[in-house]
Amino acid sequence: MSVITATPPAQRGPGRFLRDTALLTWRSLRAIPRVPERLLDVTIQPVVFILLFLYVFGSAIHVPGINYKDFLFPGIIGQSLAFGIIGAGVATSNDMTEGVIDRFRSMPINRLSIITGQVMGQFCEQVLGVTITVAVGLALGWSPHLTFAHGVELFALMALGLFAFTWCGVLFGMLVRTPDAMQGAGFIVILPLTFMAGTFVPIAGMDAIPRAIAEWDPISALVASVRGLTTPGAQAGGSWQLDHPEVAMALWCVLILAVCVPLALRRFNRTLAA
Amino acid sequence: MIEKAIKTQGLTKRFGDLFAVEDFDLEVEVGTVVALLGPNGAGKTTIVRMLATLLAPDGGRAWVAGHDVVREAGRVRELISLTGQFAALDKNLTARENLVLMAKLRGRRGRDAGAVADQLIERFDVVDYRDRLVKNLSGGERRRVDLAAGLIDRPQVLVLDEPTTGLDPRSRQVVWSTIRELVLDGVTLLLTTQYLEEADALADRVVLIDRGRQVAAGTPAQLKGQVGQPRVDVVAADSAAFEQLVELLRRQFTITPLSEQRTISIAAPELAADLARVASAIEAAEIGVDEIALRRPTLDDAFLALTGHTSQVPEPEESAVAR
Repeated sequence: MSVITATPPAQRGPGRFLRDTALLTWRSLRAIPRVPERLLDVTIQPVVFILLFLYVFGSAIHVPGINYKDFLFPGIIGQSLAFGIIGAGVATSNDMTEGVIDRFRSMPINRLSIITGQVMGQFCEQVLGVTITVAVGLALGWSPHLTFAHGVELFALMALGLFAFTWCGVLFGMLVRTPDAMQGAGFIVILPLTFMAGTFVPIAGMDAIPRAIAEWDPISALVASVRGLTTPGAQAGGSWQLDHPEVAMALWCVLILAVCVPLALRRFNRTLAA
Repeated sequence: MIEKAIKTQGLTKRFGDLFAVEDFDLEVEVGTVVALLGPNGAGKTTIVRMLATLLAPDGGRAWVAGHDVVREAGRVRELISLTGQFAALDKNLTARENLVLMAKLRGRRGRDAGAVADQLIERFDVVDYRDRLVKNLSGGERRRVDLAAGLIDRPQVLVLDEPTTGLDPRSRQVVWSTIRELVLDGVTLLLTTQYLEEADALADRVVLIDRGRQVAAGTPAQLKGQVGQPRVDVVAADSAAFEQLVELLRRQFTITPLSEQRTISIAAPELAADLARVASAIEAAEIGVDEIALRRPTLDDAFLALTGHTSQVPEPEESAVAR
C-alpha cells in the first residue's frame, strides 16, 4: 500500500488543463484502432457518394465550364466535413452514456479538459476520415490545381471548418438522449443540407426554396471555397456568401464556435439527470 | 470534534415534480460501512451522485470530511471516489490502460502511474486479464477493475453504487470479499444496494430508503429487532397432519397457521428452548412433518414491516388528494 498512499501534490492552472486534455485526447484516439467501424462510418459514405456520382449519375449532370470531377470532389470534401457533425455527435452521445465520464467528473481534474479532450479526439478522427476521402479522390483521378498559397488557405479553412463542426457535433451529442437519435437527426437535417449545398449539382439550377437555403447555408460556403481554391475560375455566385465563400466560411466558423463552445460547456456543467 | 466522513442535512433533489430525495439526513462515521438500502428508484443513486459532486442538490447541504459538496466541490473530489452502478471504465482501453489513465489524471507521472496500476492489478487479482480490452471482460472482471480504479490514491471516502447489481452469485461473492478487505484496511465506505443480504453481510449500519426518504436506520440486528420475534416454522407432511398439528400446538404455544403452505408459525422468544419444546411435543404425538426450523426475521421482513410494502417499486398511485 505504500505507493498507493503517497499522494503527489495537486498541480493546478493551465499546465494541468493541457495535461488532462492531452491524456483525454489520447484516450479518444485509442478507440480508433479498437472500434474501426467508427472510422468506417465517416469514410464509407463519402466513398459511396463519389462512386455513385462519378459513375452512375455523373453522366447526366453537365456543369458548364468545369470538368465534373473538379466539380464533384470539392463537393464531396465539403459534405464529408459536414458529416463530421454527425460523427462527432454520435461518438459523443455514445461516450456520455458511459459511466467513465461520471468517473472523470467525480475526479479532481479540470472539468473543461473532459470536453476539450473529447473535441480534440473527435477532430483527429474526422481529419483522418477526410484525409482518406481526399486520397480516394486523388486515386480516382481528381487533380486539384493548387498553388502553394491556395493550398495553405484550403488547409486552414478545412481545419477551421472541421473544428467548428466538431464542436457543433459534440454539443448536439450532449443534447440528444441516444446515439440513434443523433444519427436520425443527422440524416433528417444535415444530409439534405449537404445535398443542397451545390455539392453534386450547381445551385443556380435549383428551385427557389432550396436555392435560397443553399445560398446562405454554411456548407455551401465551404463547398464553394474548396471548389474556388482547387479549380480557378469555378465561382458559383448568386449571393454575397457565394461571391466571397472563404470570408463567409471563416465568419460562419467563428459564429458556430461562438455559439457552440459556451453552450457545450454549459451543458456539460449542468449535470445530467441521474 | 471528529469530522464525520459524510454528513447531510435536509438534502433534497427534485426532478420536475418528483422528489427523488427529500429532506435526507445522514451521518457516516470515519472508518465505518454504511449501506443505503432501498428498492430501485428509491433515490439511492441520486444521493451518492450529489455526494460525489455530480449532481447539485435543490435543498439542504452535504459535507464530505467537513467539506461542502457544492462550495468546495474541488476539494471533495480529491477525497471521495465513486464507483457507479455501471462500470466507470473506458471500454475501448485495456484494464491496465484504464488504471494508468486514472492514475495520470490524478496527477501521477508516467512510471509512477504504471507502478500504481500494477500494484492495484496485483491486489485485485486482475493479473490474468490486465491487457484485455474492458469491453471483452465479464461483468465480475469489470467490477474488480472498477473497484481498483476507485482506489487509486486511496480516497478517504469510498462510495460504491450497487456494487453487485447484475452479477452472478459467484462474482458477487468475489466482490464482497474484496469489499471486506477494503474495510479491514480502514476505508470509510458508503454503499447502496437493493439486496437485503448484501447490506446485512457488509454494513455496520443500514439506512432504509423508500421514495426519497429515510424510513429507518440502525445496525442490521436492530432493524431486524424492530420487526419482532424469532419464530419456529413447522411444515406438515400433509393436510391431515396439518390439522392435527394445529390442534396439538395451539394448546401450548402462540401460533399462526398458514393452511395453504401447511405451515404453522410459532412465536419463539426463547429461541432454541422453544424449538426443542415444539420438536418434542410433535415427536410425542407422532405427527408427520417435513420441516421444523427456527427463523429469525430477515431484513426483507424489516422492509415490509417498515414501509408497508415489499422491496419492489410500487405502481404509481392515483392521487386522491382534493384539487
